[in-house]
Amino acid sequence: MRKLGMLIMLGLMAAPAFAQEPAAAASHSLGVGNWALAAIGLGIAVACAALGQGKVASAACEGLARNPAARPGIQLALILGLAFVESLVLFIWVMIFLKVPNA
Amino acid sequence: MHQLPFTALLNKLLAGPVTAVLTAMGFHVHHPEAPIANYVAMQIFVVVIAVLLFIAVRATLSVDNPGFLQHMFEGIHGFVSNQSKEIIGHGHATYDSYLTALGIFILFSNLVGLFPAFEAPTAFPYVPFGCALVTWFYYHFHGIRTNGFAYIKHFLGPIWALSPLLFVIEFFSHLARLMSLTIRLFANIFAGDMVTLAFFSLVPIGLPLLFIGLHIGVSFIQTYIFVLLAMVYLGEATAHEH
Repeated sequence: MRKLGMLIMLGLMAAPAFAQEPAAAASHSLGVGNWALAAIGLGIAVACAALGQGKVASAACEGLARNPAARPGIQLALILGLAFVESLVLFIWVMIFLKVPNA
Repeated sequence: MHQLPFTALLNKLLAGPVTAVLTAMGFHVHHPEAPIANYVAMQIFVVVIAVLLFIAVRATLSVDNPGFLQHMFEGIHGFVSNQSKEIIGHGHATYDSYLTALGIFILFSNLVGLFPAFEAPTAFPYVPFGCALVTWFYYHFHGIRTNGFAYIKHFLGPIWALSPLLFVIEFFSHLARLMSLTIRLFANIFAGDMVTLAFFSLVPIGLPLLFIGLHIGVSFIQTYIFVLLAMVYLGEATAHEH
């Protein structure tokens, strides 16, 4: 039993030999996979933003149709809503633009 | 580093003194013969044009016979003033001059990128960050000026038991405002530039005009949004608890 234990310990001592292999994923980069994932992520972001902006624009159109006299207020809310949704897409675009070309 | 003609002119005239001042302040200058970057030169150009325009307006002001410039600037100031009266309410006149100047600076900075030998300084992240920083300090300063030390109550929320949590949330939310103002303006203008370049490389004739038109529209809208958000933050900061 003790000899079996010593054999197992000897086997475990060989573990540091693994450290001599060169580190495979030193840069954590997937090459062109980075771009592919970024494109998919940005595509999803833009699609959801387009849905959101569509809702904003349609609500503004309906409000304007019901009450054309309220045009200044509705126009303000329309522009503000569109810009806020767009800025969310631009946040993720800036992140991708900063990190992906530099691997 | 590619220099625009105006940048090259400024560097030829001022490289010596500017490098001396920067080195004296402790900055390491990478190119001593060209210490002024493109975006700094473009900002200087925009400010010079704006100041010349303001001087021209002041010189031709007249009650009986207003000229074209006077009409235009009355229109701009009236627009900003009406918006700020709607959003800030009472006491808005103190802030109108800063908001108008901010709007004119950002608008001219965005539009100067359309001319051939110039580029928009707002297409570099530093310039929108500068505008956002100044606006951020401006609204906090006026919040403290109008409310005194009660300004801190804006960060604490309605329920006293949750105040510590809410203070942390409000702190990060105010920092996020800084970031969102910066990135919204920078990314819109920079992406407009990139998209125009991309389509220019595909179809050199005709199609990029549409994107230049889009860039003009985006310049106006983003200026409006920036000034509008500045008004909203100002109104929130200077709100008196009546």
